Amino acid sequence: MDNLKEDLKTQIIEQLNLEDITPADIADDAMLFSDDGLGLDSIDALELIVLLEKYHGIQVTNPDEGKVAFKSINTMADYIHARLG
Amino acid sequence: MPSTLASPDYKGFIEASLLRRMSKILRMSVACAKDCISQAGIEQPDAIIVGTGLGCLLDTEKFLNNVLTIEGMLPPTSFIQSTHNTMAGQISLSIGNHGYNMTHTQNSLSFEHALLDAMLLVDEGEQNVLIGAADEAIDFLSEVSIALHLNLQQKLTSGASFFMLSREKSVTSFACVKDTVALGLVTNAEKEISAFLQKNDIPSNGVDLLLFSGSSNGLNAQVNSLLEGLSLEKARQVDYLSLSGIYPTASAFAVHYAADKMKSDRFIKTALICNTLIHSNLGLTLLQSVEA
Amino acid sequence: MGVRVTGFGIVSAIGLSVTENLLALREGRTGIGPMRFLDNSDSLLVGEVKMSNAELETKLHVSQKPISRTSLLGLKAAREAWGSNQHNAELRTGIISATSVGGMDRTEDFYKSYLADNHPDFAKLKTHDSGNTTERIAAELGISGYINTLSTACSSGANAIMLGARMLLQNKLDRVLVGGSDALTKFTINGFRSLMIYDDQWCRPFDESRSGLNLGEGAAFLLLENEKSIGITGNKTIGYVNGWANAADAYHQTASSPEGKGATLAITNALTKSGIDAAEISYVNAHGTGTKNNDLSESVALKNVFGEHVPFFSSTKPYTGHTLAAAGAIEAVFSLLSIRNSLIFPNLNYRNAIEETALEPVTALQTEMPINAVLSNSFGFGGNNSSLVFSNHE
Repeated sequence: MDNLKEDLKTQIIEQLNLEDITPADIADDAMLFSDDGLGLDSIDALELIVLLEKYHGIQVTNPDEGKVAFKSINTMADYIHARLG
Repeated sequence: MPSTLASPDYKGFIEASLLRRMSKILRMSVACAKDCISQAGIEQPDAIIVGTGLGCLLDTEKFLNNVLTIEGMLPPTSFIQSTHNTMAGQISLSIGNHGYNMTHTQNSLSFEHALLDAMLLVDEGEQNVLIGAADEAIDFLSEVSIALHLNLQQKLTSGASFFMLSREKSVTSFACVKDTVALGLVTNAEKEISAFLQKNDIPSNGVDLLLFSGSSNGLNAQVNSLLEGLSLEKARQVDYLSLSGIYPTASAFAVHYAADKMKSDRFIKTALICNTLIHSNLGLTLLQSVEA
Repeated sequence: MGVRVTGFGIVSAIGLSVTENLLALREGRTGIGPMRFLDNSDSLLVGEVKMSNAELETKLHVSQKPISRTSLLGLKAAREAWGSNQHNAELRTGIISATSVGGMDRTEDFYKSYLADNHPDFAKLKTHDSGNTTERIAAELGISGYINTLSTACSSGANAIMLGARMLLQNKLDRVLVGGSDALTKFTINGFRSLMIYDDQWCRPFDESRSGLNLGEGAAFLLLENEKSIGITGNKTIGYVNGWANAADAYHQTASSPEGKGATLAITNALTKSGIDAAEISYVNAHGTGTKNNDLSESVALKNVFGEHVPFFSSTKPYTGHTLAAAGAIEAVFSLLSIRNSLIFPNLNYRNAIEETALEPVTALQTEMPINAVLSNSFGFGGNNSSLVFSNHE
């Protein structure tokens, strides 16, 4: 589980080209789409859907589903576990 | 001589959240536009107009590659940023501008068309128009130029130039755009240049600085002799492509260069930029010093 | 202060001429269906022009190849708009076209063989740049001089009409062909899919259940003439372009602002420019792409401008698909057809109003009302918003 979270952080930094951020800067419970967190936007949400397919083999067909899953690293990891069963 | 594109510290101009997605052409354009706005001391221009010959090639190439090689979901960012109006859109977004927003793309005449549009707006009553041009080179372009035997005399490069065109002269004004034309599918460039000079009452000895787009890539003998007839010493005839390299909107660099020369040399009152980068396209821009 | 329209031409999924398009609009017949020409292995719903490149090249007697599909479609429409007009040394004639993909269809062909290392034909790339698309149309029509291309995503076609009108009013040209052209490409189809706004079903503009757009292809051109030109050509006036405006939303790279700021500005300024009162607008040809975001933002803008009295409105994209840079020009032709024939075209595939705004588009062909003035909206990526006003009077 913890490996998954660390992997997610590295994947997010690469996929979204977050130049000045390291995995250590992203707390597991930080709100990814809030300005206090990473300040991501709707384009990033689509990039995260690509990330899930590319690295985890998970397809998200409804963008609204992503909104719930992508709140934080914790929720993303939970979502991946739930989808992969 | 190896040449690399000069890159300022873009973080000084653009928010990190926008910067992380931006390709070369977007960084150049937004940084240049912001610098231009601050130099002119104008917070919000009435309009933003950009000319680009080939648009956002890096993102276009990237997305095209993805379309043809990846099965499944594609990352959307390079598609979003592949459209020609991305530069003008990003500038409006980064300064919160709600004015007229336009992008002209007519290969080597894209800048002149943008400038013509800006001059129309000023004639219609707008006060300040931000106008610029940008193009970016990708490695693939060099491959194309070799495959098509283009025999380019200069390197393919990238560049962006922005200007604030204002209705009224101010303390920050340093040159005046007297006139510009953009003519496509031209058959008699010599006649068009003569007509342009005549329309603007410029005698054959009235041009103090001539900027032209390379002597060996398309200027025919008549145009050459006409330009020689302007009786300018060699130092006042500059092949601007030898300074900027080749990109579709390099004539915007020439305008910038001429304006800078006017600032530093008060004997230059009138400058003519003659753009024949593509043989059948003729762009002419006439600049005058603000004192003239 | 109106500018005269004296010619128009169109090619879209619902027809290869003005007459064919009008017939399909009257009959409520869509041109959207499973893909046939671009790639017949894909069953995606698209608005294709029902003619192959080879047929178009033959029919149009194209003198020089390669030529992009975007140029072919543009040439077909521009020829119809130009009609039997002659060149005249007295008249400064120009052309302004709009495109978002340019020759991308040919570039894709090239790139496939390039990636496969299978003798790629680099000459195809000469048609890639958007400016070349227009130059090829100009060359076939014998137009030289002012040849220009605008590319502002989905508002491009409307902007070409606006720029042409301004060029005439400023006496820079005597007559000008204005319009836009875009071919379907894998680039754009996959682009909108990557944004998750391509609907696998029929697009449903202004419907609560809408979930995206269907792309289309096509082209349309108008011929605009000043008094001097009409004095020489004797052409009859089809209608007038009375107002135009362009404004930036400056909200987001792809999404429109929820309060419809750019759209509201564009509509308001176009009405002001036209001198036509909001209450005099008989019909609004909406941008109405069928995406959640656009239709809500546009509905809010309509309410901002018209208050409780939003005119009859519909989106004609369920007929043609979203034709990107051609959309503003295609819908300008539809707006002029509406005025000339006293028709309001129904918004196909509509069932329930959007909850937030409760606006209901026209759902059945209206034939009994005089149509004096029409507002046409074109809003695009990067917050480019344009509106045009057409009417039957100066």
